[in-house]
Amino acid sequence: MAGAGALELTGVTKRFGPFTAVDALDLVVPSGSFFALLGPSGCGKTTTLRMVAGLEHPTAGTIAIGGSDVTGTRPHRRPVNTVFQSYALFPHLSVAENVGFGLRRTRTPEVERRVREALELVELGHAGDQRPAQLSGGQQQRVALARAVVNRPAVLLLDEPLGALDLKLRRQMQIELRHIQTEVGLTFVHVTHDQEEAMTMADTVAVMNRGRIEQMGPPAELYEHPRTVFVANFLGQSNLAPGVVVEEGGGTLGVDVAGHRVLVPAARAVAARGTVLVGVRPEKVRILVAGQEPGPGENVLGPGRVTDVSFAGVSTQYQVELPGIGTFGVFAQNLLGGATVPLGAPVRLAWAAAHTFALDGRDAAEGTTDLDEAS
Amino acid sequence: MSLLAGLGAGPAGAAGGAAVVPAPRRPTSRAWLWLLLPGLVYLLLLFVVPVVALLATSLYAPVPGGELGQYAPALRVANYADALAAFWPQLTRSFGFALLATLAALLIGYPMAYVIAVRARGRPLLQGLLLVLVVAPFFTSFILRTIAWRQILADDAFVVQALQLLHLLPEGGRLTATPVAVVSGLTYNFLPFMVLPIYASLERLDPRLVEAGADLYASPATTFRTVTLPLSLPGVVAGTLLVFIPASGDYVNSSLLGNSTNTSMVGQVIDARFFRVLDYPTAASLSVVLMLVILVLVGAYVRRAGTEDLL
Repeated sequence: MAGAGALELTGVTKRFGPFTAVDALDLVVPSGSFFALLGPSGCGKTTTLRMVAGLEHPTAGTIAIGGSDVTGTRPHRRPVNTVFQSYALFPHLSVAENVGFGLRRTRTPEVERRVREALELVELGHAGDQRPAQLSGGQQQRVALARAVVNRPAVLLLDEPLGALDLKLRRQMQIELRHIQTEVGLTFVHVTHDQEEAMTMADTVAVMNRGRIEQMGPPAELYEHPRTVFVANFLGQSNLAPGVVVEEGGGTLGVDVAGHRVLVPAARAVAARGTVLVGVRPEKVRILVAGQEPGPGENVLGPGRVTDVSFAGVSTQYQVELPGIGTFGVFAQNLLGGATVPLGAPVRLAWAAAHTFALDGRDAAEGTTDLDEAS
Repeated sequence: MSLLAGLGAGPAGAAGGAAVVPAPRRPTSRAWLWLLLPGLVYLLLLFVVPVVALLATSLYAPVPGGELGQYAPALRVANYADALAAFWPQLTRSFGFALLATLAALLIGYPMAYVIAVRARGRPLLQGLLLVLVVAPFFTSFILRTIAWRQILADDAFVVQALQLLHLLPEGGRLTATPVAVVSGLTYNFLPFMVLPIYASLERLDPRLVEAGADLYASPATTFRTVTLPLSLPGVVAGTLLVFIPASGDYVNSSLLGNSTNTSMVGQVIDARFFRVLDYPTAASLSVVLMLVILVLVGAYVRRAGTEDLL
């Protein structure tokens, strides 16, 4: 059954009373991929996952697994397994009995060998006789993973399984999960609100907001080409400034941002006329102190003033206030040691025009909401 | 528990003994003694002394040539043999009735507890209402309720008439003064003791475990058998004990709903021996036997159910 099929959602909607949790969702997860559903809490990602597992029923739309429609199928008849956020290990069964639970239900032969192999895969070969309560959080998490993986489901669903772990263990488990996914070759659908987790682990990330998918693609593409304000801010950080498109030609847009002319590659612009939001990632921006001049093909904003300098080990993060535009963040790598620009210094900001992107200006009103909730 | 403690000690030990955690200081004051004292005095006066008196009475011998009810302290172990020889049918019937009532209460009570705890989960108002309904019978007296049952099961009441109409009961058949009436009364009177502990353990059951069962290919019936039922077993064990123990010693139901020939239970016999026949040694030895048998049965049952932490 491994890798037999992809997951396909068509027009899936879920309403709880007047609240629409998932809104006409269309989604195709390719077979064998590591797919992440990323979004803030309440965006509908867990509801989507529960509908795939059969634990919730969609109000409208169809769900197909491996090419066959399972919309009306009871959960125990679906070829999917879930790693629950709370692990949901059976406390009255041993670790080995937990892992063998699904195999026994499907009357799979050689339960003991498969259970042993699954436990060895998650490096818990020695813990089979223990009770879940005797294990640490990270070990319980791995038992939950083994309990799901051992069944070789067509789709493995992970509902924020790393949420309860501390940061270090989480990073370690991310690498392990990734490793296990390539080893067993199953289709993983991973729900998370941690953008870093989604980017480091998944082949494809779908950013969800308010029951809809805002944008979907490989992590690098989402990061470099965000198409909405929500994606630009939820996936990493973005400096956004409103402007008006004043010229167009040669594959480049000229945008007027508070009197400065900023060039945007037309291919990186969601809207090509009227009001737009010009954006650039903080690590792409460099600070020009007095006497420094921008290079060719660079956009320049300023002068402005440094309002905050914070040292973060590998980089220094500056906040620069640009009158009439707003505050821009700048990440400077600490190649020469610590901070090189003092607080209050008058500076200009420059970045390669090729790294500029432009979003639809009408997007500005919404989009930035939910961010507090997400962090 | 020792394993858990061992795991807990692991990381501290691995830290190279840098942080030696001092053992929790033992309380030096004798406050615990004073806290225990009221309970100890209470138990001594109202449990230990009566039990010793009961044991002593069970070995008394009649005074030669004495009046009815006159006994002298002795070590007449034959009292037990006499009592058992005369009243073993009532004794076994007591445990039989109690067992039937426990099974009936389990069959009726488990679904009730399941509905309140699982089906009504997330609706605290409904849960509260249903729980009040379960406990409501306690608002009136045990005796009154049993007398009411006598009315309900009476020959001219609707239950008997309906059963006769349906030919489930022969013409002229009756319910009062039958074992059915006694077992029904026992079941009814002790049902809340079955429902409440099962409710408590089902209420604690994490619904995500049931979802995990469904997710791991277990049908609802299989999930119930492999997840819900085993996890509610502590409640089942507690409930069956709370019904079985008082039901075995009960005499209210058998005297009010039964007759004196084929439904009398050991409680009734003890009552009659003590207060009517004034045969204190037989009554006392039957009480001791009742206590011992319950202790042995319960001990074996709890050991079998694997929930020693209940005791």
